Amino acid sequence: MASFFCSRVLARRRLVESKTSWCFHRSRYLAAPVHATKIIESNAIGCPTASSRFSFCSRPLNLDDAQGPAVVDYRSLLQEDEFHRLADATIHDLQEKFEEYGDCIQIDGFDIDYGNQVLTLKLGSLGTYVLNKQTPNRQIWLSSPVSGPSRFDWDRNSQAWVYRRTKVSLYQLLQSELEQLCGKPISLS
Amino acid sequence: MLRLGCKRFLGFSNQRNQTLPQTLLRLYHERVVDHYNNPRNVGSFDKNDPTVGTGLVGAPACGDVMKLQIKVDEETGKIVDACFKTFGCGSAIASSSVATEWVKGKQMEEVLTIKNTEIAKHLSLPPVKLHCSMLAEDAIKAAVKDYEAKRAKLGANGEAAPVEKVADA
Repeated sequence: MASFFCSRVLARRRLVESKTSWCFHRSRYLAAPVHATKIIESNAIGCPTASSRFSFCSRPLNLDDAQGPAVVDYRSLLQEDEFHRLADATIHDLQEKFEEYGDCIQIDGFDIDYGNQVLTLKLGSLGTYVLNKQTPNRQIWLSSPVSGPSRFDWDRNSQAWVYRRTKVSLYQLLQSELEQLCGKPISLS
Repeated sequence: MLRLGCKRFLGFSNQRNQTLPQTLLRLYHERVVDHYNNPRNVGSFDKNDPTVGTGLVGAPACGDVMKLQIKVDEETGKIVDACFKTFGCGSAIASSSVATEWVKGKQMEEVLTIKNTEIAKHLSLPPVKLHCSMLAEDAIKAAVKDYEAKRAKLGANGEAAPVEKVADA
C-alpha cells in the first residue's frame, strides 16, 4: 500500500532522486495523494498546516552552501514545466500584492513593471527590487536594495521559495524588508 | 571614452544620435567600462599546481561563467597572484576583474570577507546586475575552498614532504 502511494507520487514528480527513502509513519497518508498533488498544482504557497502532515524523509541535499557555491544538478530537482508554473504563479501573485500595497502607501516614484518575465518594483528613492526567473537553475532571483542579491530555490517540504544560504523564504524576506523600508506591513502569504 | 564605450554597447554607430531618449540611455559606470576595456589579470594558471586554487562558478546557460584562480604562498597563506577568465556581461567581467585586484596581497581568511555589496558599490552596479557581484564573491570563495581542499589532499598523501621542507629551511 505504501509502495503504491510511493510510486504514484514519484511518477507525478518524476524525481531522479527516487532512490531516497520516503518514510511513512502512519497509514493515513494513503488518503493523501490527491491532497499532495493539489498542493503542488494550486497556488497555495506557504500553507504550513497542510504540508507539515507530510513528513517525507527524503535525503537532504548534499550542499555545502552555507559558505559558498556548490555543484548541483538542478534539472533533477524540479522539472522545467513545474518550475515555470510555480515561478510564474509566485511572480504574478507578488505583482498583484505589490499593486495593492502601492495603493495603500504613498511613495514618490512608486512603480511596478512586469516585462520579459522580469518584475521590477520601484520605490522611488528607497530603491528598486528586481525579481526574475533563472530557469537553468530552477531559481527565482531577487535583487534587493536592502539585502542585495539572493537566489531562491523551491523547497517542497515547506512549499516555498527558500534562499539556501540564509534559510529565509522569499515571502518572509520581502515582507520584512518592505515593512522596514516603507513603514507599512505587507501580507504576502 | 565613456561615450565610445556606450556607443559600442548600445550599438549606435552614427554620430547624429547624440541625445538619446531617456529610456534607452543606460550607461555603464565608468569603472565598469574601464575594467571592460582594460581588464586586469586576465589569464590562467596551471590548475594542477599545488599553490593554485581555482574557483569556477556560474553556468553558460545562465549567461555568466567565472573562473578565478589564486596563487598562494604556502608558508604565509598570502595570495601572491590572481587571474580570471569570465564569460558574461560587462558587469560580470568588471566584477571578476575587481575581485582579482582585491585578493592580491591579502591573506586567504581576509579575502573570504570580501562582500558582493562592496564590489557592487565600487562599480555602481544597477539592481539587475547585483547578481554578477555575488558571482564574483562566490568565485573567490570557491578558489579558496579549492586551494584548501588541495592542501588537505596533499597533506593526507605526502606527510613526509612538508617536514623535510621545514628542516631544510
